[in-house]
Amino acid sequence: MTKSVRKDIMGNGIETIKSLANSLSGENYRGSVIFTAQPTNEQKKTLENICPTKALFPIKENDALGLDNGKCIMCGYCSNAAPQTIKISNKPSSAAKTKSQIIDYSSPQTFPLAKSYEQIGNELKEKIKKMFGRSLAIRQVDAGSCNGCEIEITALNNPIYDIERFGIHFVASPRHADVLLVTGPASKNMEIALLRTYEATPGPKIVVAVGACACSGGIFGDTYATTGGIDKAVPVDVYIPGCPPRPEALIQGLLLAVDRVITDGS
Amino acid sequence: MNNINLESYAKEIVDKFSNKITKVHWNNDELHLKTELNDMPKICDYVYKNLNARLATIICSDERKNIGGFTIRYVFEKPGIFIFVIVSTGPSLSFPSISLHIPAATLYEREIKDMFGLVPIGNPDTRPLVLHEHWPDGVFPLRKEFELKTKTDRQKKEYRFLRVQGEGICEIPVGPVHAGIIEPGHFRFSILGENIIHLETRLFYTHKGIEKLAESMKLDDALLLSERIAGDESVANSSAFCQAIEKIAQVEIPKRTKKIRTIFAELERVYNHMGTLAGISTDASFPFGAARLNILKERLMRLNESLSGSRILFGVNRIGGVRCDITDENKKLILETLSEISDDFDKVIILLKSKSSFMDRLRGTGVIPKKVAYDLGTVGIVARCVGMDVDTRSDHPYGSYGFHDSKTPQELMQHQIDLQKRTGDAMARFEIRVHEVRDSIDVVTKSLDLETDSLFTSIPERLEPFRSSLGYAESHRGQTLHWLMIGEGNSIFRYKIRTASFCNWPVIEQAVLNDIVPDFPLVNKSLDLSYSGNDL
Repeated sequence: MTKSVRKDIMGNGIETIKSLANSLSGENYRGSVIFTAQPTNEQKKTLENICPTKALFPIKENDALGLDNGKCIMCGYCSNAAPQTIKISNKPSSAAKTKSQIIDYSSPQTFPLAKSYEQIGNELKEKIKKMFGRSLAIRQVDAGSCNGCEIEITALNNPIYDIERFGIHFVASPRHADVLLVTGPASKNMEIALLRTYEATPGPKIVVAVGACACSGGIFGDTYATTGGIDKAVPVDVYIPGCPPRPEALIQGLLLAVDRVITDGS
Repeated sequence: MNNINLESYAKEIVDKFSNKITKVHWNNDELHLKTELNDMPKICDYVYKNLNARLATIICSDERKNIGGFTIRYVFEKPGIFIFVIVSTGPSLSFPSISLHIPAATLYEREIKDMFGLVPIGNPDTRPLVLHEHWPDGVFPLRKEFELKTKTDRQKKEYRFLRVQGEGICEIPVGPVHAGIIEPGHFRFSILGENIIHLETRLFYTHKGIEKLAESMKLDDALLLSERIAGDESVANSSAFCQAIEKIAQVEIPKRTKKIRTIFAELERVYNHMGTLAGISTDASFPFGAARLNILKERLMRLNESLSGSRILFGVNRIGGVRCDITDENKKLILETLSEISDDFDKVIILLKSKSSFMDRLRGTGVIPKKVAYDLGTVGIVARCVGMDVDTRSDHPYGSYGFHDSKTPQELMQHQIDLQKRTGDAMARFEIRVHEVRDSIDVVTKSLDLETDSLFTSIPERLEPFRSSLGYAESHRGQTLHWLMIGEGNSIFRYKIRTASFCNWPVIEQAVLNDIVPDFPLVNKSLDLSYSGNDL
């Protein structure tokens, strides 16, 4: 694992990962939940009950089981309860522009091969260059997260992921930002601050909800102290599921966000 | 600490207050003393001053249905023992404040006032703490009749900050949305020129109602919640939660799982200290050092991922044991990675220590006076940086800590000498973290001789209602305390969480008083406090 990236720490070798292979997420990584078989009726009931965030829910029309990736916190309780039906894949579930797109259905599926961090990054770089002719400016707002998502967003800036080389820059003020990267279930005490940050951001602006909490409230749900998702407070353009989403998932979400600017602009 | 010693504490208090203590009861290492509301301040004062015990937490719970009143538990801590002074408020909606004698109690009493609507008589600070000014009056989330999903209207009220007035004094409000990628909180500086005259922190922006939410959850789900109290303390918090339940169920978990919990807890400590050291380096304007340390942090997070499936160690614990095994292959991976990391770490630290501009920034910055640290009941690195010998791992050995407790007299002496040298500044905190990284790597290596027993013990289907217990662990920030009372049908009646950050946050207001505004980020980072763990 570390062998491939290891250089003498004080040396001036390149620390960023240039490999195009999808080598970053380890085999054991809990990235997404996938159905490997159609669940039986009995299994459906167990699974619905066992899911702590109600990410597994019954779909009335076709009697199937739906999986809302925006709610899933990757605890793995479902695959322990029904290992023949549900598997945990090491590929992070992909970001989407609408909430309905992050819902999977219980038809057995083969997971599309995800692109590597480097591939997405280069694609992103091209788009940003074409669209803006300058860097994409991001302001991160924590609206009540547990700090897990912040750890991963900070990791984007470390020398290994080094997101600035793709033309993405984290700025200190919303007034300089194109994109708001929002985490947390939008706690009630942060709601006004989030709204004011949104209002301070010049248009066209894109709001990206990062992590299960921001997408749906996650494990914190919709209570007296939370609003149950960023989209209850501000309009959201891109949802990135995960608890927390790993850097590859974050950068893939940013790619969608830039797409959104392009489609909105035209 | 042997039992005779502990019994002597009990005897001392009971003898002194024989007519005032109505019931004495032992619950594992907890000494429960029941008393009346009016006698409580005297007993608390005696325990605090004469027994030299630290106020660990104040737990309130709504037991009006069972015993016709709210119960307040004042928990004091000495190595090896937790002393609970328990009172019931009866029909009264107020209780006497102890904050004038025990300054650390102030915040707990304000929290109780917000969450339960009980008024601490005599507490000079009556402002709201958890529920900000927009909450309507008469909303008390932790009372039993309060519905979890209640939505309240926003009110227009204003929070009173302490105003410093005088010629040339101005205010800088900072936050809640900060410039960096960090959590939200509000800081209000009163400054004269660049010098900080006064700092007031306003937190609880990330209050998510965790304690109330837990009361509606199954135990297994609450475990996942406990991991998410603070994303970077997941192992410490979930271990403390599991411990509390295991004590209530009176089961002993297998030795193997104890060691595995230790390994993950120490890996958590290492990767977080690495991140904090990197942050200190950034805030001292030395990004090169930060970049090197961030590489090490990333490597550790990848190690976390291959061991547990999560880069920040979610899903390690289960009630009664652990979910992640450490196989022989994993052991090899851990040893290889850690030995590489400790080599590289040494190189970076030598580099940092050779840069006088870096060292000068830390020396004498953010000095915490020893008395302040003691009065505010600080824990963890913040307490150790002023020379207080506080560490849950040695004060209350849990899990497999204590298995390897074979320090020679020389080592113990050296430990005491090191403590005496600590000056309470950012430099001291930097040095302790460096020391702890090496120490933790050592503990992980020593813990790898795993037994071959199972990964968990089963917990009885039904736990006895209204039994309670305290779980504790030392996270990289300090002691985390989780008090749990089981309700009917394996539900959670009350889950009180007190992380290290809650004890340590007030210190920052005192630590910056000799500094200028640009030093604040450095002081803040060197203390490494969690907002989410504080706000719950």
